[in-house]
Amino acid sequence: MMLNGIRSGAVAAAAEIQRNEREQTMAVSLRESVELVSDPRNLDSSVEEVFRMMLGLDCRRESGPQVREAESVTAVVGFGGVLSGACVLSCGGAAAIKIAAHMTGMEFGEIDDTVKDGIGEICNMLAGSWKSKVPELAAHCGLSVPAVITGRDYHLHVQAPEFQLHHVYGFGDVNFAVTIVCDGLQ
Amino acid sequence: MGEVRALIVDDSSVMRKIVERTLRQAGLNLAVVLEAGSGAEALEVLKAKQVDLILSDINMPVMDGLEFVRQIRAQNLASGIPVVMVTTESSEEHVKQAIQAGARGYIRKPFTAEQVKERVLPLVHGA
Repeated sequence: MMLNGIRSGAVAAAAEIQRNEREQTMAVSLRESVELVSDPRNLDSSVEEVFRMMLGLDCRRESGPQVREAESVTAVVGFGGVLSGACVLSCGGAAAIKIAAHMTGMEFGEIDDTVKDGIGEICNMLAGSWKSKVPELAAHCGLSVPAVITGRDYHLHVQAPEFQLHHVYGFGDVNFAVTIVCDGLQ
Repeated sequence: MGEVRALIVDDSSVMRKIVERTLRQAGLNLAVVLEAGSGAEALEVLKAKQVDLILSDINMPVMDGLEFVRQIRAQNLASGIPVVMVTTESSEEHVKQAIQAGARGYIRKPFTAEQVKERVLPLVHGA
């Protein structure tokens, strides 16, 4: 799974912001703040916030690996601007259906377009919430629209990332993984 | 409060439903809810229908929410109707851009019914 297409949307969004900041003379750099940007607590609090506010669910961070199911759903939202990379939400079919059911109040028997749409939106909110934890990132990093992939046996590969956070969370009897991959930091 | 005709603009149909549900939970008496999946689609809706309130996402394909709000003002559509941005973008810069474009309010996703009540109801009352 390649991130370039997804990221181009985020780069365009970041360019729009930067066009409106022409008067700003001081260059923004996150290089010195990499520890703050990659603080794993930011991801945990973003997941907690989004799931509690939008789904009414309390998630717990899990130490074990993500449960693998035959069918899985992965949503990707690209970052562009001072940070390039992606926020990836990955879950099995059962978890995807439960997340969508909590979001919409509907019941789903399969992974249909509404389920995929819901997972994409949760990923979008996670990406937005995560970047809002660091003011420079919130202001100078754009988000792409979500892309959702369904299927079996696929892997996300990023060559030489600046940093990567990968946490597994659970609610009820299902779990899901959220990954922040940064492959460029200004 | 009287009945309100709302236009909800978001490329996600799930988010449109969530926004509608939250408006109702916040106490808004929605008589009509119109939906659009992009800014361009929403402009077409506004040419044909009258609304009292518009809630729009920012990051959307075809035409984003900021351009949508600029076009509403440029084309003199929905004159005086409050537009509230509902978006994952939360920086001061994004809020400033939205207000400059013509939005009257700003709600960050994720949101609660209480936040919607605080930020949307006064606009509808004052519209």
